[in-house]
Amino acid sequence: MTSLSFELTIGILKIFSFVVPVLVSVALLVYLERKVLGAVQLRKGPNVVGPFGILQSFADVLKLLTKENLLPSSSNKFLFIFAPMLTLILSLIAWAVIPISSTYVIANINIGILYLFAVSSFGVYGVIIAGWASNSKYPFLGALRSAAQMISYEVSIGFVIITVLICVGSLNLIDIVESQKNMWFAIPLLPMFVIFIISALAETNRLPFDLPEDEATLVAGFFTEYSSISFGLFFLAEYANMILMSSLTVILFLGGWYPPIDIFPLNAIPGIFWFVIKVFLILFVFLWVRATFPRYRYDQLMRLGWKIFLPFTLIWVVITSAFLFYFGLLPN
Amino acid sequence: MFLVGSFFLFAAFLITTCIFVIFSKNPVNSVLFLVLAFLNSTFLFILIGAEFVGIILAIVYIGAVAILFLFVVMMLDIQITTLMFNIKRYIPLALLFAGIILAEIIYLTVFKTSKDNLDTFIRSKNNTEQIGDVLYTEYFIDFQLSGIVLLLAMIGAIVLTHVYRPTIKRQNIERQNSTTAEDRVILVKIKSGEGIKDD
Repeated sequence: MTSLSFELTIGILKIFSFVVPVLVSVALLVYLERKVLGAVQLRKGPNVVGPFGILQSFADVLKLLTKENLLPSSSNKFLFIFAPMLTLILSLIAWAVIPISSTYVIANINIGILYLFAVSSFGVYGVIIAGWASNSKYPFLGALRSAAQMISYEVSIGFVIITVLICVGSLNLIDIVESQKNMWFAIPLLPMFVIFIISALAETNRLPFDLPEDEATLVAGFFTEYSSISFGLFFLAEYANMILMSSLTVILFLGGWYPPIDIFPLNAIPGIFWFVIKVFLILFVFLWVRATFPRYRYDQLMRLGWKIFLPFTLIWVVITSAFLFYFGLLPN
Repeated sequence: MFLVGSFFLFAAFLITTCIFVIFSKNPVNSVLFLVLAFLNSTFLFILIGAEFVGIILAIVYIGAVAILFLFVVMMLDIQITTLMFNIKRYIPLALLFAGIILAEIIYLTVFKTSKDNLDTFIRSKNNTEQIGDVLYTEYFIDFQLSGIVLLLAMIGAIVLTHVYRPTIKRQNIERQNSTTAEDRVILVKIKSGEGIKDD
């Protein structure tokens, strides 16, 4: 019995060792986003709270917490409160299978990548429930847009993942990273890498695909009616999802915890450092895209997903598997 | 002990959620309970060691099918559907399907396989690899046929609902992209007092 409680304690500590850094990096990511946007638009960005304004996000969180949580009178109360909780839970449980280094992972399961895919596809429930439970026009439209958008881009994400899996021959995330020891998949599968990043932008509802929360037409989309901490949970979940999708990109295409070149001064640095650096770079691309591109129109978004990405990824799956088959490079 | 306990826990949840699917007044709640039912059956699959089947069930049914259900049901006018809801009409059909499924389960568990056999089969190898071994070899025809059935259903739905309206103006993206400034704008020098003639 003591060993069970011991293992339980270790497990809980391990979970905290993932969740706390993720939540802290969400705060830092919000700060980074405002700084990057500021730099792109020739402004200073937050620079008052703390040194270089680094405590700005924490001050914002405190402000959100002290606000009143409003419940619209015609809303479905239970689902209205449940939706932001579900969204945040889903964006955090996905971290259970993310390997930060070859040994540091909470659960090293055989079907890690499918688990991640499943959890990220459940993410749409939070949005759609929030939109319906608010019982209001703009959230409802936002939820409909979001559901259609996330389903569309999941299809191409699925095919990109399949291409990587064909090259690896395993659904285990650690195996996926270890098969990239000599060559990152971003190089042979460059088009898929680009499509994955674009689809990740759509999947996390980021600009230029943030139509579910398009402020010019839908006020704030699915979280129009949300205030205080329930809004805060959506906000937290969105940024946690961004970090999650970046980590997934790093695991699938950028060789996880491996250094760029396997030579002495680089491979002496611990793997966690490389992992974090790569995640940070992908996140920077997210922010850079936000500062650079205008928002897509909805029909353009659907056209890109179904008429360009879907056929392209489908053909690329066939090409990759045919190539590997005829040159005898298939794993096992 | 832990396994048996969790089996009964998830099985009980599964049956409860199924009952709620049927008896919820609000169709949106029904769909959400259906999602919970799918989730519980995923857990049951994972409990017997079929994690691949379980997670695929979750991806396909929760991640796609139930969302489309929710999508449709959300747009219904709830008052009308509650009036139209008449449980007695569906009882014979429900009993028929329940009977068929019960017969299948009895056939499979009692006559077809012995339990030990199934257990060793499941535990002998990673079940993703097992499915991969047989899917495109032993069950090639069945797999392709089920694909064709799905394709037919999809095309059928599109044919039934798609109405081509020639009056609607559509975007021609290639044409838009290939236009240059010269196609759209002409620089005209206007003499004072003459104006532009429209031709």
